Amino acid sequence: MLVSWSWLSDYVRLDMPVEEVERRLMMAGLNHESTARAGDDVVIDFEVTSNRADCLGHLGIAREIATLWGREICLPKADPCPGSHPVAVLARVTVECPDLCPRYTARVVRGVRVGPSPAWLAARLQAVGVATINNIVDITNYVLLECGQPLHAFDLGRLRGGAIVVRRPRAGEQLEAIDHRVYELNEAMCIIADAERPVGIGGVMGGAETEVSAATTDVLLEAAQFDPLAIRGAARALNLHSPSSYRFERGLDPHGVDWASRRACELILELAGGELAAGVLDVGTPPVAREPIVLRFAQLKRILGIEVPADEVEQILVALGHRRRERTGERIEVTPPTWRRDLTREIDLIEEVARIHGYEQIPEDALVPMARSARTPADRVLGEVRATLTAAGFDEALTLSVVEEPVSEAFSPWSDLPALRTQMPILRRATLLRRSLVPSLLAVRRTNEALSNPTIELFEIASAYLPSSEGPPREERLVGLTTGGDFLALKGVVEELVARLNPAARVTVGDYRHALFAPGRAVQLHLDGETLGYLGEVSVEARKAFDLRGATTVAELRFGLLAAAAQLIRPFVPLADKPAIQRDINLELAESVRWAQLAAVVEEVCGPKLEALDYLETYRDRQRLGADRKSLVFRLTLRDPQATLTGAEADALRDRVVAVCADRLGAKLRLG
Amino acid sequence: MALAEFLAELDELLAAAQSGFDTAADAAALEAARIDFLGAKSGRLKAAQKGLGTVAGADKPAAGKRFNEVKQAIEAAFEAAQARLASGAAQADVEAFDPTLPGTRPRRGHVHPLTQTMEDLKEIMGRLGFTVAEGPEIEDPWHNFEALNIPESHPARDPLENFYLATAQRTGGPWLLRSQTSTVQIRVMERTPPPVRIISLGRVYRPDTADATHYPMFHQIEGLLVDRHVTMADLKSVLRLFASSFLGGDVHIRFRPSFFPFTEPSVEVDMRWNDRWIEMGGAGMVDPHVLQAVGYDPEQVSGFAFGLGVERVCARRHNVTDIREFYKNDVRFLHQF
Repeated sequence: MLVSWSWLSDYVRLDMPVEEVERRLMMAGLNHESTARAGDDVVIDFEVTSNRADCLGHLGIAREIATLWGREICLPKADPCPGSHPVAVLARVTVECPDLCPRYTARVVRGVRVGPSPAWLAARLQAVGVATINNIVDITNYVLLECGQPLHAFDLGRLRGGAIVVRRPRAGEQLEAIDHRVYELNEAMCIIADAERPVGIGGVMGGAETEVSAATTDVLLEAAQFDPLAIRGAARALNLHSPSSYRFERGLDPHGVDWASRRACELILELAGGELAAGVLDVGTPPVAREPIVLRFAQLKRILGIEVPADEVEQILVALGHRRRERTGERIEVTPPTWRRDLTREIDLIEEVARIHGYEQIPEDALVPMARSARTPADRVLGEVRATLTAAGFDEALTLSVVEEPVSEAFSPWSDLPALRTQMPILRRATLLRRSLVPSLLAVRRTNEALSNPTIELFEIASAYLPSSEGPPREERLVGLTTGGDFLALKGVVEELVARLNPAARVTVGDYRHALFAPGRAVQLHLDGETLGYLGEVSVEARKAFDLRGATTVAELRFGLLAAAAQLIRPFVPLADKPAIQRDINLELAESVRWAQLAAVVEEVCGPKLEALDYLETYRDRQRLGADRKSLVFRLTLRDPQATLTGAEADALRDRVVAVCADRLGAKLRLG
Repeated sequence: MALAEFLAELDELLAAAQSGFDTAADAAALEAARIDFLGAKSGRLKAAQKGLGTVAGADKPAAGKRFNEVKQAIEAAFEAAQARLASGAAQADVEAFDPTLPGTRPRRGHVHPLTQTMEDLKEIMGRLGFTVAEGPEIEDPWHNFEALNIPESHPARDPLENFYLATAQRTGGPWLLRSQTSTVQIRVMERTPPPVRIISLGRVYRPDTADATHYPMFHQIEGLLVDRHVTMADLKSVLRLFASSFLGGDVHIRFRPSFFPFTEPSVEVDMRWNDRWIEMGGAGMVDPHVLQAVGYDPEQVSGFAFGLGVERVCARRHNVTDIREFYKNDVRFLHQF
C-alpha cells in the first residue's frame, strides 16, 4: 500500500520524522517496504497483512498513527448537499443475487462537467501510482485510496432503462471492461447489468460502454458490498486483479459503503459541479451492529506474560476505534470498530493491546521450566545410517519428491498401483509422487556424470508415496543408494550397514528380475525373513534410458525395517579366552551350487564351535576343472569357548564338513 | 688322502666361499651360495668333512684343527655377507621412499548441508526440552487447514496455492502435499494430552517458481509448547536461547506484529546478529481455535509455536546464494560441507 505523506496529513497531524513513522508502524504491524520522494511529497510503501483490509486506505494508516502518537483523527465530513429531485425517479436498483451482493447503493449526480482533475488531486493520485482519467473517475479512485471502499461511476445516460440489475450472468454473456478487453462471464460471478446487458463485473471492473467520458452529464455512483469469495473467484477466473477486487477479497467495512458514497458525491459536487439527487437507492441488508467483546485483564498477563495497566488497555482500545461499554476491575467490554472485521474475540483484543503497547515490552529472559527430551529411536538410527554410509564413501543427496512420467515407471518395486499425481506440476513436468528413490538418484547420477565428477557414490533417505486402493496413501521411508561399484561392493555396504545396526541380524537374498537390472545381477534382500529391499546392477538398456555412461549398482532399503531391527544399546557378550583354530578348505563344486547352500551346510556341521566362516575365493578353469565346475576356497575359524580346541578336533570338523558337502552338494576336496 | 692335499683343498674351498659370499648381489644369490657351501646335505663344506675321514690317523688332529678354522671362517664370511646385504637393502629403501607423496586417503562421504543444519537445530531444541515429532507429508484438509483455523473460504486453500492430489478425492476435500509442518503439531496434540513440547520438521510444498530464493519443495522446522501458564515471554526467551545457541554469543530477539491463521497474537521474529536485525521466522501464541480443534481447553492451557525455513538458515550459514544448489546434488557441492 503506497501512502502519500501529504495526503496522510489531511487526517492526522504529522510533525514527526518520516523514519519514526516507518519504524513505529513496522513495530505495530505495517512492515515498511520502501520510501520514495515524489516532488514535494514522500511516498511510503507499507506491507499490509491480509487481515488488515482497514489499512488499504490512507485513513486506516492515519488511524494507526493517531493511535500510536495519541492524536486526534480528522475525518472528512462526507456531507454533500442534495437537490430536490428524488433519486428514485432517475434510476432503479434490483439485486437478484443477495448472496453475492448483500448490499448495493447508488446515488445520482446530474449535470456534471467532466474534465481534468484539479492539480492537487491529480498529484496525489500520481504520487501513489494511479493514472488520472477524468475528474469523476479520479474521484472514485481517490475515495478508494482514502477509505478503502471501491466505488464505480456509471454514465447514467448509457444505462439502458436507467436500471441497475445485480445478477448472475446468463449463458454466453460477455463484457468489454474499461481495460478494453472482452471477458467471458460465468455463472459463479456477480455482474452489474442494466435493463439489457452486463455493464460491469461486480467488485472487479466496470464496463467500457457505460464508463464516464467527456460526453457524460449524469452519473450514477455505485457503492456496494460484495462477497469476498465470489470476488476472488471472479478475479481468478478472469485473471483480472484490480485494486477493487484486491480490497473486496479481504472484506471491507460494511458501514464504509454509505460514507464512501457520500464522500465521493461531496467531491463531485465540489470539483465537477452538478446536482445530487435526493436520497439513495439502497438495496439489501443494512450492516448489523457488532457484537461486543469482553477482555479480562488477567488474560493479558496469562498470554503476554506482562501486565498492562487497565487504563492503558482502555486507552489503546478506544484510540483504535473501539467503543467502551463497560469496565470493572477485572474486565472491559467494548464494541469493536466496524472497519475491523478481524476482531471478534478476546484473543484478538489481546493482540491489539500487545502490538500498540509494544512487543519490546515483553522480556526475553523468562524462566522456562525444563522438560525431559531425548533423541527419538528413529533419529538415532538415522544418525547411525548416515554415519555408516558416509564412512563407506557415500554422499547424502536430497532430491525432489516428485518425478516425471517415464522416470516414475522405471522402477516401482513397492507398489503396482499408479503413482499419485498432483493437480499441477511441482517442477517442470513433474507431477507424480515417487514410489521409489532409485529413479531420482539415477537422475542425479546423470547430472554428476555430465559434470565429469569422477566418483559418484550417493544415498538418500526419504519417503516414497505408495498409493493404496483404500484409505490414505502410505509413506514408506527408504534408503536409496547408487554406486559406481559392482554388485558385491554394494552388497557389502548393505551388509555392513545392517551389521552396524544389529550384529545378530542376517541379510539373505532371493532372486529378483526387473528390467532395470542386468539379468542375474539383482536380488531381493531379506532381513531376518522380511523384505528389506532390492539391489542390483543397472542393465545396459536401463542405463541408456537414464542417459548414463558408466556402470552403476543401486539398492533401496526400507528404513522402517532397519530401525525395527536396530539394537543400538548392546548387551556385553563374554569373550572366550580359549584360542581359535583356522582351517582352509578348497572344494570343487558344480556351478549351480551357491555359496549360501555351502555356508548352510558348514554352519550345520560345525555348530556352535564355528566362530566365523570366511569366503576366500572362487576359482574356475575349464581345462582343469571342466565346464560348469568351480572351486570355492573358504576358511573356518573354530573355537570351543569351554575348552581349548585341539588340532585333531579341528581336523575332524574339517573332514566332516568335507564329507557332508560331498554327500549333499557333490563337492570334491581339492588338494594343493 | 694326504694331509697336504686335504689342506690345499680346504684353502681352495675357503677362497671360493669367501668370493662366493662377497659377490652375492642379493638375498637370493647369497642363499644359493649358502646352500652351495654350507648346505646341510650336499654342501661343499660337508663334502670336505668327508675328506677328513680319509686322512691318515696321525695327520688327523692337524687336519681336524684346520677344518674347524676353515668352517668358522666360511660361516663368518656368510654372516658378513648377510649383514652387508641387509644394510644395503635398508639404505636402498630409504632412498626409494618419497614421504612427500600424498597419503592414501579413505573416501568419506558427506552428509547433506540441509541435513546438517536440521540436525544442529534439532540438537539445540532437544537441549531446550523439545522432542522431535514426525508426521505424513500427504495430508488431509483437516490437518493442513481446518484444525489450523484456515476455513474453506480462506485464500490459503486455493488450488493455485497448494499441491492437491488429483487422484485421491474423498470426503472433506482432496488430500494434498502439506504446505507446513504445523500439521504435525495437530496430530501430536490430537493424541497427547498437554503438556506438549515438540519440534516437527521435514519437507513442505508450495507452488513457487524455482529461483535463487524459492523452490516448490523446502524444509521447515517448527516448535510447539503447550502447557499451563505459557506466555509470549516464554516464546521470546526460548527463541533467544535457541538463536544464541545456534549463532553463538548473546542474540536478542525482536517481535513484529504479523498475521497467521493458527496463532494469535502472531509475530515475525527478528534476531540481532552482527549489529543487524535478521528475519528468523514466524511465531505466535497458539490460536484458541486450534487448541479447541484438538480438544484442549484454551482457558486451561496456552501455548506458543514458531517456525522457520531450513533452506534460508542453511544458505545464510554457508553463503549459498542459490538454494537450487541444495537439490542439484553436485558431488563437488556436497563435498564442501
